[in-house]
Amino acid sequence: MADVFSQKHYLVIDDFSDMRAAIRSILRSLGVNQIDQARDGNDAIAQMAKKRFDVVLCDYNLGPGKDGQQVLEEARHRQLIGVDCIFIMVTAENTREMVMSAAEYAPDSYLAKPFTKELLKNRLDKLFERKAHLAKVNKALMSKDYGAAIGELDQLIASSPKNLADLLKLKTEICLTANRYDEARAVYEQVLAAREIVWARLGMGKVLYWGKEYAQAQETFRQLIALDPNLIAAYDWLAKTQTAQQQFAAAEQTIQNAIQLSPRGLKRQQLLGDLALSNGHIQEAETAFGHAVALAKHSILNHPSLFASWARSKSSNKKHVEALKIIGEIDKKFPDMPEATFYKATATASVKQHLGDSTGAQEALRTAEQVMAQFSEISNSRLALDMVKTYAQLGEQEKAISLLQASIANNHDDDEFLTEVVRVCHEANVEYDAEKAIRDIQRNVVKTNNAGVRLIKQGEFDAAIKLLREAAEEMPGNKTINLNAAKAIIMKMEKMGSANEDIQTILRYVGRVQSVAPNDWRLNDILSRLRKLAPKV
Amino acid sequence: MDFSDILASSIHDIKNSLGLILNNLDELIADPDNHLANPRQASLLQHEAQRANSNLIQLLNLYKLGNGQLAVHIAEHNLDDFLEEVIADSQAVCNALGLDLSYTCDPGLTGYFDAELIRSVLDSTIGNARRYARQTILLSADSQDGYLVIRVEDDGAGFPGQLPQWLSDENEQTLNSTDPSSDPSRTRLGIYFAARIAQQHKTPERMGKICLKNGHTLKGGCFELWLP
Repeated sequence: MADVFSQKHYLVIDDFSDMRAAIRSILRSLGVNQIDQARDGNDAIAQMAKKRFDVVLCDYNLGPGKDGQQVLEEARHRQLIGVDCIFIMVTAENTREMVMSAAEYAPDSYLAKPFTKELLKNRLDKLFERKAHLAKVNKALMSKDYGAAIGELDQLIASSPKNLADLLKLKTEICLTANRYDEARAVYEQVLAAREIVWARLGMGKVLYWGKEYAQAQETFRQLIALDPNLIAAYDWLAKTQTAQQQFAAAEQTIQNAIQLSPRGLKRQQLLGDLALSNGHIQEAETAFGHAVALAKHSILNHPSLFASWARSKSSNKKHVEALKIIGEIDKKFPDMPEATFYKATATASVKQHLGDSTGAQEALRTAEQVMAQFSEISNSRLALDMVKTYAQLGEQEKAISLLQASIANNHDDDEFLTEVVRVCHEANVEYDAEKAIRDIQRNVVKTNNAGVRLIKQGEFDAAIKLLREAAEEMPGNKTINLNAAKAIIMKMEKMGSANEDIQTILRYVGRVQSVAPNDWRLNDILSRLRKLAPKV
Repeated sequence: MDFSDILASSIHDIKNSLGLILNNLDELIADPDNHLANPRQASLLQHEAQRANSNLIQLLNLYKLGNGQLAVHIAEHNLDDFLEEVIADSQAVCNALGLDLSYTCDPGLTGYFDAELIRSVLDSTIGNARRYARQTILLSADSQDGYLVIRVEDDGAGFPGQLPQWLSDENEQTLNSTDPSSDPSRTRLGIYFAARIAQQHKTPERMGKICLKNGHTLKGGCFELWLP
């Protein structure tokens, strides 16, 4: 058994050297001899970038700089640690709630200080066992083959192991990622039939949300909050549902409540800022974006759009000098980021417009247009919405509307994005019936897509390919169209043999989707079929 | 900042110090190069430091409970795994004190609870049992009348006073004047904390509760935690 410990690489992260020494000596007494240590978040990230660790023991509280949660976020985000790495968050009593309310990026385990060597050994034994147990599932997850991962899990579940509840929960999480809502729902129902369980009820609400059963989803999240007013995730999902129903005032209030419980969530502060703007609450927006910028300081999720939003809201509150100063920081903070130039330009246009300097505003706007044109044809849907706001503020309604139309066409089946389109129109006062436009554009895209799929089924590959390729050129950011165009070509090649030119076309379409949605659940199927036809790809 | 906030933040600080004391004691005892005239003294130090630590955890949790800040994360857990981990934490001290600490339960038994909170209840109960046990402390779990029942028994002299005693929400009064706590060495805090944490575990029909009795399978005190 000692081998399980001795062969693995450990990283101990704590800002107190006494604490590091204590943990190190506990590990040594367990037979571990490959131990590295880090004294703060940056140090930890640097070490993880250089070396693969099997086990990371990270204190949540690391003094100034990144906290443990931000270390975990960055490590997972940059894929410095994989699903096979065990990340243990070491917490004190006063950080338990903070840590556990972090919605994404959960560690493999929590360990409350102080802990004995026997407890750590027992915990590590269990975690190694669990990773070994899930090895096949994790392997499938790493190659994003969600179908295979669920298949492996089902086999484990069928043997009714000790950790059945964990496996069922994991299965539902994978199902949600893979858009397999019915399967997730079946598991939730099965669990809830035995007992009212929070994760299952919350999951049920999510399935209702994705199925656009918004009223029922709201009711579910509300009941969860009534039962446990500290359940942050329920507030987040309630606000999401309210936003989808365009109840922006209610959504703002919900997020405000969540922030009172858990003020350190970066995305939550950003969302509050956006919602406050939708409701004309410019003072609240300024505060929220200010918090977001402060929280993002040490985070991998730091982004120029946060500075731009903060500057714009400052300017709305007539604090133009401060706004320009914030814009000035964008270059310093994000020196190698093309998007930074874009956000800097739109924010400048907005502030100058507020200042009455319309020439300066126009100039900045032209810069923004130029930068946007340099981006790849597909990655700019989020930028486009920022541009829409700027066009609207500067009175260029037509340009705003044409950008909106392209954005809708590129994302016709992405409900979250479409909700954001509606919200932005509302916030920016664009004279445009976004909902009607969405319905019309959706109808057209779906018609084209279905016609293509029908032709594929009839074996008329050339006609299908022609139709879908035209559509893909028209809507280069549309994931469904690109994937179906790729699929049509693959099916043709499966029947009639492969051609290098076709393979290049497929890779281009797949690349478009990968660049906007690397985790898209449909990618694996297409790539594995392509590999069969062209093993070198 | 009011006094209770100051108290809470001081407790964190004390807890950190205790953590380091415990870690260093561990090393001191584990190092074969150290020759202690009476090793039992070191183990007693460990025992008392662990008890102080679990008392502080209870205080902090009660403070959060009072402020409505205690988040309870109820999930399904396997009891065999859970109890194995609970006794792992106390095993070294019990060995050193010459006590036999073990658990029994059906390997397939599962229950619904917040593992961290229930662990701290059990830690402190085991800490108390260490004082009273002659040779043996036994943990066990089974399901009874639709509840999960977790027991901590010892072979000591048992609880004084009127028994069995049920402590749940309906008799908050008894909670405040529990008989066993009239024995100053059995702290009121531990019992009160256990009952409050048990109450946080509820279904629409039932609520968690605790029961104190004597002579279940061992002849001494038996602490029972009933979770719906």
